[in-house]
Amino acid sequence: MAIASAMPSESYPSAKVVDRAASAGAVVALAGCLLLPFVEFRPNRIVDGRLLHLLQCAGVWGWVLLAVLLLSLGAALLPGRYRGRGLLAGAVLSFGALLFALGSATTKLMPAGDTPARVSIAGGAWIALVGIAMIWFQGNRVARSHKASAAAALTGTALLVAAWWFGGLSQLSLAVEYRAQADTFWQLTYSHVLLVLGGTLIATVIGIPLGIVAARSGFARAVAIPVVGIIQTIPSLALYGLLVIPLAALGLPTLGTVPALIALTLYALLPIVRNTFLGVSGVDASSIDAGLGMGMSRRQLLWRVEFPLALPLVLEGLRAALVLTIGIAAVMAIAGAQDLGTLIFLGWGSIAVDLVLLGAIPMVVLSIIADQGMRALESVVVSPGIRIPREEELSA
Amino acid sequence: MISLEHVTKRYGDRMAVDDLSIEIDDGDVAVLIGPSGCGKTTTLRMINRLIEPTSGRILIDGTDAATLKPEELRQHIGYAIQSVGLFPHLTVAENIATVPKLLGWKTARIVSRCEELLALVGLDPAQYSRKYPRQLSGGEAQRVGVARALAADPPILLMDEPFGAVDPLNRDRLQGEFLRIQRDLKKTVVFVTHDVDEAIRLADKIALMRDGHLEQYDSPEQLLDHPETKFVHDFVGADAALKRLGRVRVDSVMRTGQATVRADQPDAIEAACASESRFVYLVDADGVLVGWIDSRVLDRGTPAAEAATRVDWRQAAVRPDGSLKEALARMLALGYRSLPVVAAGGRLLGHVTLSDVEKTMEGGDAHLADHTDNEAGSIGGGGE
Ligand SMILES: Nc1ncnc2c1ncn2[C@@H]1O[C@H](COP(=O)(O)OP(=O)(O)O)[C@@H](O)[C@H]1O
Ligand SMILES: [Mg+2]
Repeated sequence: MAIASAMPSESYPSAKVVDRAASAGAVVALAGCLLLPFVEFRPNRIVDGRLLHLLQCAGVWGWVLLAVLLLSLGAALLPGRYRGRGLLAGAVLSFGALLFALGSATTKLMPAGDTPARVSIAGGAWIALVGIAMIWFQGNRVARSHKASAAAALTGTALLVAAWWFGGLSQLSLAVEYRAQADTFWQLTYSHVLLVLGGTLIATVIGIPLGIVAARSGFARAVAIPVVGIIQTIPSLALYGLLVIPLAALGLPTLGTVPALIALTLYALLPIVRNTFLGVSGVDASSIDAGLGMGMSRRQLLWRVEFPLALPLVLEGLRAALVLTIGIAAVMAIAGAQDLGTLIFLGWGSIAVDLVLLGAIPMVVLSIIADQGMRALESVVVSPGIRIPREEELSA
Repeated sequence: MISLEHVTKRYGDRMAVDDLSIEIDDGDVAVLIGPSGCGKTTTLRMINRLIEPTSGRILIDGTDAATLKPEELRQHIGYAIQSVGLFPHLTVAENIATVPKLLGWKTARIVSRCEELLALVGLDPAQYSRKYPRQLSGGEAQRVGVARALAADPPILLMDEPFGAVDPLNRDRLQGEFLRIQRDLKKTVVFVTHDVDEAIRLADKIALMRDGHLEQYDSPEQLLDHPETKFVHDFVGADAALKRLGRVRVDSVMRTGQATVRADQPDAIEAACASESRFVYLVDADGVLVGWIDSRVLDRGTPAAEAATRVDWRQAAVRPDGSLKEALARMLALGYRSLPVVAAGGRLLGHVTLSDVEKTMEGGDAHLADHTDNEAGSIGGGGE
């Protein structure tokens, strides 16, 4: 039977060969640390900055960072049952070492007392961060264990807090900027999250029934699927422009939260409608035949058979909608929405790189939380019978 | 009783089923057979109204099915299909519980019913209840499908090529189990197949269809001995005597009292080989067949322990409820003139010989009558 042979035990990346993604990440991070400047030091706003390399500025932490990156490379090159966990540990430790190296460089470079001097992150450290993220993601993928992933995320957060309080990270220019803007920052982050959740929620309430109807009726399919597809191809600013006219006609505000929420809802519709449609219409004909043949009504069939079987795809659509709207919400700042995009445009206007980062970094973090959160949710609500089992279940 | 009265189903210009009239008595197994596309599935699905007839009536115990609510009708008719259609997101137990849940049974009753049914189809409840369909083999999935169809104890069972997708060995076993279960439960079964041997083995009545219409509706014996049309004759095949073996159970000609010794007792083996019988069967401490010795080989001076043929009972033995046709096929395939008969766990019960099979074939009608009389006591007994 086809289903039986599709047992997933062989279907995930085997630990038998060199892990290319993770080793590439480690090499990128090492190259960034060794070849490019790690931080930039500017004594005041007038003087040009001085670029410093890792081993010039971070003291012993520079060596620690190189050592843990080499360990990560080892985990990527050496096959073994615990490679996923090895990669995760390597990534988390590298992340911590990077933060402490940044903090230590800052502490060493900053003069004492109230000063206009700034130490900011330079290209090498950014590239190292990207490389570490590659190892981290690959670690999550290979380990296939929610416990290991959660432990890594918690340890990473703890190391961030430790570097902030004890490692000198709080003197970094980005941190200084954050402290100056803390109230605004949290308020904008909060409204960003509200916009994203609101838009996705409305899109879910509309999109799931629409997807189900599209799977049922050829007419609905012929109308709904192309329409949500076309919306997606309209650039976000153009969509906002198109919204202004009907909003004005209806007497609704053309700036601020309302148009932003409508635009986010429209964008979130496509992945939700399309995935619900694909999920429901992809249910095996024999399951439907059996359900109807045993006397289920159409409604019972939908809720007991079709929707549970479509659930993995529906959740995947929700995940995509969340990640998509986190990005688009920022663009909607142009339309007057108050969110993390506001910080980015503000920073852009005043050529304040740190302000741009203050808007961008939390968006990346929000995307990762949304992505991982939806995966965790999936592992709880999707039946083990149709889910790819995790590592601990396979070995059990 | 199920009566189809002038039932017709038309798709555009095409007559999928053309003026079909048959009656199926309570407790009978009626097999619909015919070439692919002749309308078997359409006929079956009209009985539980998954398909509505274009014209004609279907009466179930005298009530026109068209007057009943389709969902309620279907909840009281078991339904098993070739693709099984187990719900992949539900466990085996939850799959079996489908109709009882629709009928609003209490949980405790559902649980005990699931266990009872799994045991009935030969699956250990403790081992299988919580498995998911993707963890089952084809034969196991098919057993669960049958258990699910039987869950709410429906008086009628519709089965569309239920054993069509399993390998021949498993199909033979499933057919044997079906007959055993049917002997106890006496359901009114409408069974679709395109396999003549399966039809002959399982049916009380066979409806042979061609291009949507009925060619002949008769008992297997009548169909084999008195085909009404050339099409029927060609379809059931030339050698009716050979086909008829499919209806004779192995245990009806099985011999017992064979020489049997424990494989781990060399002295006993020597002694047994010195005695009269040609074959000496070897069993383990639990009576499970492990091999045999042909004493003719011993005459050529080979020591008994080396002359023993070691076999796996799953391959080289037949079940008492298997058919003689299967036994004959196995003898020819393996090149043996005699086959051991074992119970479910491999315990040796007796043996069948080629000459007994031949006698059954020549004795033909006489022996068959015997056999069907036996069956009539249990299968046909429920009918009126
Ligand atoms: N939904 C349908 N639309 C049109 N023709 C159909 C449909 N279902 C079945 N048929 C036709 O009706 C005939 C009988 O089909 P079916 O009952 O499935 O045959 P069988 O089960 O004997 O192989 C076939 O010729 C098939 O092509
Ligand atoms: Mg068919």
